[in-house]
Amino acid sequence: MTTFFLYLGMGLFTLVLLCLYRGIFGPGVLNRIAGICAIGTKTLIILLLMGFIYDRVEMFVDISMVYALLNFIGTITAAKYLEMKGEV
Amino acid sequence: MIRVTDDIIIRTVARMLIPFIQLYALYVIMHGHHSPGGGFQGGVILGASFILYLLTHGLEEAKTRMSEMKAGLFSSFGLLIYSGIGLLCLVLGGNYLDYGRLSTVLRVVPAQARSLGILGVEIGVGIAVMAVMFSVFFDISTGGELQDDQE
Repeated sequence: MTTFFLYLGMGLFTLVLLCLYRGIFGPGVLNRIAGICAIGTKTLIILLLMGFIYDRVEMFVDISMVYALLNFIGTITAAKYLEMKGEV
Repeated sequence: MIRVTDDIIIRTVARMLIPFIQLYALYVIMHGHHSPGGGFQGGVILGASFILYLLTHGLEEAKTRMSEMKAGLFSSFGLLIYSGIGLLCLVLGGNYLDYGRLSTVLRVVPAQARSLGILGVEIGVGIAVMAVMFSVFFDISTGGELQDDQE
């Protein structure tokens, strides 16, 4: 089962790299924000898979919850900033 | 300047989410010695809940909940708890933040006194970090221009 989680995590890591490409080179600000948010959700799942691999899920659940929360607040902040600048 | 907007979805979600965020922050502070977390991390989550309130409900309404003066008072209060516990250990004859000495005041065994002392210090750190986080965000979001701030 550990091997399965490991390969799942590696697949998700590849997807993170693709999202990172969109976040860096993406045309416009909105594509960048969408890429960064997708990276946030994938990181959350990768953290949980790491918890399963190291057999300490109860520890990694805490970290991933904080990550999800800060990702949510970061998205709202970026949206507010764009609204303030009047770019959208 | 962050102003009130009529995005009702964001405001409703924030209003439902903020109590749980604060409860989770208290859990992170209290459960700091058994799981990742502690005073600083819990304080950051607690500050993030106030920042979320400021973002969604606007500056004017956030000032009624947590004003600049209150943030300053809270940061000083947290530092007072931290240094107070440290100095109490110093007064009782140990080193600074040597929690084992608190056992004479708390009337428990030294191991339990250490646990309680670390918990008290973490509560202080959490309060201070929360207030400073909010204060920094407050100052940045207003750009240093507060017209009607009399405090």
